[in-house]
Amino acid sequence: MNGGGSLERERRQAYLLVAPAVLVLAGVALYPILAAVWLSLHRFILVFGERRLTGLDNYAFLLSDARFWAALGNTAYFTLVAVAVELLLAVPLALLLNRAFPGRGLLRASVLVPWAIPTVVSARLWAWMFNPEYGLINRMLPGSDINWLGAPGYALHAAILVDVWKTTPFVALLVLAGLQGIPEDLYKAARVDGASAWRAFRSITLPLLKPALLLALLFRSLDAFRVFDAIYVLTEGGPANTTETLSIYAYKTLMRSGDFGYGSTLSVATFLCVVLLALVWLRLLGREEGAR
Amino acid sequence: MGRRLTLLLASGLIALAVGVSGCRRSEAPREAAGRTRLVFKYQPLWGPPAPFHELLARFERENPGVELVTEALPNASDLAHQFFLTALEGGADDFDVLVADVVWVPEFARAGWIADLSEHFPPERLRADFFPGPVDAVVVDGRTYAVPWYLDVGVLYYRTDLVPRAPRTYEELQRFAREAMAEAPGLQGYVWQGRQYEGLSCNVYEALWGHGGEALGEGGRVLLDSEPAREALAYLRGLLESGVSPRTVTGFSEEEARRVFQEGRAVFMRNWPYAWSEAQKPDSPIRGKVGIAPLPTKSGEPGWGTLGGWQLAVNAHVSPERRRLAARLIAHLTSPEANLVLALHYARNPPRPVVYEDPRLREAEPFIANLKQMVERARPRPVTPYYNLISDVLQSEFSAAVAGLRTPEEALKRAQRQVDHLTGVRE
Repeated sequence: MNGGGSLERERRQAYLLVAPAVLVLAGVALYPILAAVWLSLHRFILVFGERRLTGLDNYAFLLSDARFWAALGNTAYFTLVAVAVELLLAVPLALLLNRAFPGRGLLRASVLVPWAIPTVVSARLWAWMFNPEYGLINRMLPGSDINWLGAPGYALHAAILVDVWKTTPFVALLVLAGLQGIPEDLYKAARVDGASAWRAFRSITLPLLKPALLLALLFRSLDAFRVFDAIYVLTEGGPANTTETLSIYAYKTLMRSGDFGYGSTLSVATFLCVVLLALVWLRLLGREEGAR
Repeated sequence: MGRRLTLLLASGLIALAVGVSGCRRSEAPREAAGRTRLVFKYQPLWGPPAPFHELLARFERENPGVELVTEALPNASDLAHQFFLTALEGGADDFDVLVADVVWVPEFARAGWIADLSEHFPPERLRADFFPGPVDAVVVDGRTYAVPWYLDVGVLYYRTDLVPRAPRTYEELQRFAREAMAEAPGLQGYVWQGRQYEGLSCNVYEALWGHGGEALGEGGRVLLDSEPAREALAYLRGLLESGVSPRTVTGFSEEEARRVFQEGRAVFMRNWPYAWSEAQKPDSPIRGKVGIAPLPTKSGEPGWGTLGGWQLAVNAHVSPERRRLAARLIAHLTSPEANLVLALHYARNPPRPVVYEDPRLREAEPFIANLKQMVERARPRPVTPYYNLISDVLQSEFSAAVAGLRTPEEALKRAQRQVDHLTGVRE
């Protein structure tokens, strides 16, 4: 009896303790989201003071808006390719950085340089390198006059390249942290059993690395899905919107056109996509935890 | 325990409240010591600061009791627009005079953010004193909402050593370019601005007017799905397909085009007048080999360049007496004398025809004086309050046609549909 009462008190205390955090979260996260949802139900053109409730009109327009679907396709393609390449490059890089060799600390630090440069700055640098007339990249590929940022098909891949260059080190670091959590004994035991290095990688490293990999995937795919700065600096979404992502479309609609109603609809759609993606990853991660 | 938590919660709420109220702008003392502070928001003029400061100081001398304060804006036009969008929507009254891009005036006027200046600058007087293009951009429904400050216009640059004279028709431009290219391998024909951004819209509108088209149709509807527009886009796309323009043009803004031209690697360039002084620098490979002319047209009459440039307007949220002072400042900054200062020291093209005849300008800046025939034919992009809403659509559909992703017919149909949706026009 007495114990139950204290349990009750403890529970109340727990609620009280988390209350400030919940309040802050509600203020800075929940409220803006709900406000955006509410705005998305209006025709709201800031400049002309046009504001009236139109219900789900914006969402109906969204479904038939070819530009939205194109932007969604660009975003999905960008996320898929960029994250896949980053992961494929990051694992070997992490394995390399995990080995003991002189100057390892320095190398680990210097690998992070692309990650440390502000995206706008590095995107500007890359824009110059991609310049078809005097850019470094076309000079390095003699005979090529690829119009990197001006030709549909190339431009999105150029943006993916910039993202891979920038974020691979970050993924490598996440993987490296995972690698260091694997006990050395397992490898010793494998060697005693006569397993090859490949076998050890397949049967020990990869399975034990899975949570770290999933975490990296979670971080990176959510980030990549909201990509804005790099692409905006490189192409502003051109040519012909072939590099326009959801964030860029939403930004242009909101900030350039001042169409707050439909802009919010686009933001909400982006938000829902990201939430969906996060739920999938978290589920996978949860299953991983459960399997242990 | 409970009390402490309540305390914690309360202090959290207080912090939140302080944070929220902190967002409200603090009202700076405006009428300090009997002097009125007049705030002028503008984009810095590149060049020596002294002549402009002297121009402002003269206003202060002529209006004792006024303290003039200048505040800088970002140079990129869309960032400046964003600033005004948020500041004026929020009812900001901490600046009195502001600069506005040609395409903003109808929008800001309709929103009620800039004051009606017809009383101080009647439209008839503007029409008498200024070029027609900029007046069209600042007079909305018969009322004056801004005064042209300095302007810009799209022009054709050509290499006097490679072609016999400036081309008058599109056909001539392509023929001259091909002839010059045949003699010098590696040379490019015609460079312009084909990247998806506002500059592309300027290039497309010039081609549209050059094919006899108009930007606005009946009842002020933005007209896109028209024969001249189809011809214009087909012409621009054709330049790329025939090789007269390099395919890389689809990634060019002003500076990319200028660099190619300046290195002597192109016969023709469409650009704004600023490229002239760069081309004439002592170390420029094309110094003394460059001519400038109106853009060609289909028929051969001199072409219409897109109007760019900046206007001065008054913040509608400030008090009537401040508005009067602000109008006086605008009159001072847009006088023929001020036009001349901006032209001589900052190479800004005067919006008043009379200044082009001034011997001081003809003497010191013959290049600007010679721009007159192009400036008087400068045309604004569609004058509609919805321009900022639709420019995005224009850019992407124009880009699709120029890059060859869609045919001109298809791109223009799509653009028309979206623009009608945005401006509320019913079929």
